[in-house]
Amino acid sequence: MRKSTTTCLAALAGVASLALTACGGVSNTAGGGSDSGDYPQGAVEMPVGASAGGSSDLISRQISEGLSDELGGSFPVINREGANGALAAAEVAKAKADGSTISVQNASLFAITPLAVSEDEVTSIDDFEVVQGVSRDDYVLVASKGSGFKAIDDFANADGKITYGTTGVGTGAQLACALTFKVDDTPAEAIPFDGGAPALTALLGDQVDTACLQVGEAIENIEAGKIVPLSVFGPERVEFLPDVPTAQEQGLDVEVAQYRFMTVPKGTPQDVQDAIAEAMQATFEKEEYQAFNKQNNLTPLEISGDEVLAMLEEDKQRYADLVEEYDIDLGDAS
Amino acid sequence: MDWNAFLDGFAVVTEPTNLLYCLIGVLIGMLIGVLPGLGPAATMAILLPIAYNAGDPVSAIIMLAGIYYGAQYGGTITSVLLRIPGEASSVVTVFDGFALAKQGKAGTALGIAAIGSFVGATISIIGLTFLGPVIAGYALDFGDPEYAALALLGVLLVATVGNGHMVKALVAAAVGLLLATVGADSFTSANRFTFDTLQLQGGIDFVVVAMGLFGVGEILYNLEERHGKIHVPAAIANIWPSRKDLKEAGPAIGRGSVIGFFLGVLPGGGAVMASLAAYAAEKRVAKDPSRFGRGAIEGVAGPESANNAAATSSFIPLLTIGIPANASMAMLFAALLVVGVTPGPQLIDENPELFWGVINSMYIGNLILLVLSIPLVGIFVKILRVRPAILAPITALITILGVYTINNSVFDIFLMIGFGILGYLMKKTGFEPGPLVLAFVLGSLMESSFRRSMLIFDGDPTGFVTRPISGTILAFLLLVLLLPLLRRVLRRRVTETIEPDHHDEKAELR
Repeated sequence: MRKSTTTCLAALAGVASLALTACGGVSNTAGGGSDSGDYPQGAVEMPVGASAGGSSDLISRQISEGLSDELGGSFPVINREGANGALAAAEVAKAKADGSTISVQNASLFAITPLAVSEDEVTSIDDFEVVQGVSRDDYVLVASKGSGFKAIDDFANADGKITYGTTGVGTGAQLACALTFKVDDTPAEAIPFDGGAPALTALLGDQVDTACLQVGEAIENIEAGKIVPLSVFGPERVEFLPDVPTAQEQGLDVEVAQYRFMTVPKGTPQDVQDAIAEAMQATFEKEEYQAFNKQNNLTPLEISGDEVLAMLEEDKQRYADLVEEYDIDLGDAS
Repeated sequence: MDWNAFLDGFAVVTEPTNLLYCLIGVLIGMLIGVLPGLGPAATMAILLPIAYNAGDPVSAIIMLAGIYYGAQYGGTITSVLLRIPGEASSVVTVFDGFALAKQGKAGTALGIAAIGSFVGATISIIGLTFLGPVIAGYALDFGDPEYAALALLGVLLVATVGNGHMVKALVAAAVGLLLATVGADSFTSANRFTFDTLQLQGGIDFVVVAMGLFGVGEILYNLEERHGKIHVPAAIANIWPSRKDLKEAGPAIGRGSVIGFFLGVLPGGGAVMASLAAYAAEKRVAKDPSRFGRGAIEGVAGPESANNAAATSSFIPLLTIGIPANASMAMLFAALLVVGVTPGPQLIDENPELFWGVINSMYIGNLILLVLSIPLVGIFVKILRVRPAILAPITALITILGVYTINNSVFDIFLMIGFGILGYLMKKTGFEPGPLVLAFVLGSLMESSFRRSMLIFDGDPTGFVTRPISGTILAFLLLVLLLPLLRRVLRRRVTETIEPDHHDEKAELR
C-alpha cells in the first residue's frame, strides 16, 4: 500500500512539473532484471497506432512493462493514432534500425487494410523485421435481441436486407461479416462505425440487426443475455465463448482473426531482435501477463517471428482470393 | 434501488486511503485540465500502472475517475483567462468568460464556473444514483437518425453563439463543416483533402483547430494591439462573485445542469451539444440577449454547469451497459479490466462495492474540487496581471506543448500555427472562431450519422420524420427556425394596428 502511495505522489509531482509529457508514462527505474548484452541503451520508444485504452494500446503497455522488467531501461508507449495504424507503422519503418524504436503491430494493417485502400497507401511488412508473435483477438458475429436471430441459419427467414455493424472500413470485423453474408448468400448492408463501442451501442439499441465485434467488446453483454452470439471466426472455438460455433463448423468457409506481433525496423541487428524476443517470452510466462490475456479475452499466439510472417503471407493471399471470389469491395460500404 | 449498497458505498469512500486517492485524482485532473492537449484520457493511460499496484482496486478507479471530472474544472481556467478552450465542451465558455476577464471580472467568471460545475456535477450524480439504468435505456433509443437530427440542430444553434453577426457566424460554421471532411472517409476510406499526406488521413484534431484559432490567434492579435496602443491591464476587482452575480447565474446553473445531465448520457458528442444547448437556452430566455458575448455571467454559468453535468452522466453508459462514451471512459473501461472487473450490465449486482464506491466518491470529489477552486481562483486570476510580453510566450508554449502531446506529432504544431494565422485574420475581419470550431466538431458527427442512417434506411429519407425521437427533434428545429420569422410577422401586424391609432391621437391632439 505504502509503495503505491509513493508511486502516486511521484506521478503527481511529474504532472506538476510537466515532465510527464516528456517521459510518456511508465515510470521504470533503470537497471534490474537480467541483462542481455548492451541492449537497450537509453529509452526505447514504442509507438502504437491506436488511441489510449484500446486493446492495441493495452497490449503494448503490458509488453512495455514486461520488457523493462526483463531488460531494464524504459520502454515508453507513444500513441500515434491514425490511418488504421499506418502512421505509427511509417514512423517505425523510418526509425533507426538499432532497436531504439520497436512496435507491436496488428495483422489487419498488412493483410486486410490493403484490400480497402489505394495501392500507394499500403503498408508493407517488408519494411519490418517480425520479432515475435503476441496474441490473437477473435471476432464474433452477434445479433440484437430484436432481430430474433438465434443462429446463422435464421438468416434465411429474414425479409429484406439484414444490416450489420462493423468497427470500420478495412477492419477484420468488416471482412468477417462481409464474407459471412456473401458466402451464406444473404442480402445484407454494411454499416461502418468508428470502432467497437458505437457499433455495440447501435446493436444494443436495435439500430442494426447484427454486428461483427471483437470478443472482448461483446462478451459482457453476451453473458448478460443482451445480445446473441452467432459465430466466431477463428480456426477453432474461442476459450471464452465455448458454446459459440465457428463459421467453419456451420459450413461457411470464413476464417478471419486479428493478431498482434512485435516488429522492429528492417535491418535491426539479430542480437537485438533476440534480446527482445527472449524478454517477451519471459514476460509471457508471468502469471500477471496471463491474467491480463484472460481478462481481455486474448488467446496467446506466442509463435516465432518467421511463423508470424508465414501466417501473414498466407492470410493476405487467402483474404485477397476470397474477396475476389465473392466480389466484395471493402473500400465501398455503400 | 438498494439503499444498503448505496450507504456501504459511502463507507468505502470515507476510508482514509480512498479519500487520499480521491484527492490525488481530482488534483491531478485539475492540473492537467489547465494544460490543454494532455487530456484526461492520456493522463489516465499514463497512470494506469497504478491500478495494477493499488492495494484495493476501488481506490485506483476512484482516483482515475477523479482525474476525469477534475479536468473539467481545470479546463475552464484556460478558457476564461487565456482564451484557449482545452475541450470542445468548453468552447462556448470562452465567449463570455474571456469577455468578463477583459473587464477585470475574471474572478467572478471563474467563481461562478466553479459553483456551476459543482452544482451541475452534483445534480448529475444524484440523477445517476437514482435514474442511471433508466436513462441508459433511453440513450440506446438514440440511433444514427437521432444523432443526425441533433447535430443539425446543433449547427443551427452555433449561429446564435457569440456576438457577431448571424451571416458571418454561418459563413464560419460552413468553413468548419468543410474542415470536418478532411481525412479518410470512414465509409469508403477514400482520401479527402489530405494532399497525399499520411498525417491528414486521420482528420484534423479538435484541439489543433481550437488552440490555433483561439489561442494563437489571440496572441497574434495582441502583439499587434500592443504596438498600436499602450496596453492597459484590466483592473482585477471582485475576486469572488457578488450576491447579484449569484442571483443572476442561479437559474442558468439549474437549467444548464438539467440539460447537461440528459444530453451527457448520449455517447459521442453529448457534452458538446450540452454546453451549446445550455448557452443557446440562456440566450433565448435572457431579457437582453445582446449582452451575450460581451460578458454575460449566464453565458458562463449555463454551459459550465452543463458540461460538468454531462461529464458525470457520461459514466452512466459505462457503468450500466458497458459502453464507453468517450476516450476517457474507454480508459476507465481499461482500468476496470485491469483490476479484474468487466464493466457491463452485471456490474451493479456483481460488484456493488465498486459501483457505489465510485459513484459516491464523485459526491466527495466534487466537494473537494469546489473547496480547492476557491483559493485557486484568486491565484490564477493574477495571471492576468502578467505583462503580455511575458504572458504571450507562455501561452504560445502551452498551446504548442498541448498540441504536441495529442499525437506526438510536429506536423500538428505547424497545422495549429496555420490555424492561428487564420484566427488572427478572422478576428481582424470580425468573424468569430467559435462557430467554426463548433461546426467542425458537429460536422463529422452529422455527416457520419446521416450517411449511416441512409444505409440503415436503405436510401429512404422518410425514416428521419417517422421515427419518434428524430421526428420530434426535427420538428423542434423547424420551430426554432420559424419562430423569429413568425415573431417578426406578428410584430409587424401589431405595429400596423397600433400605428393608425397613434396617428389618430396625434390628429386629435392637433
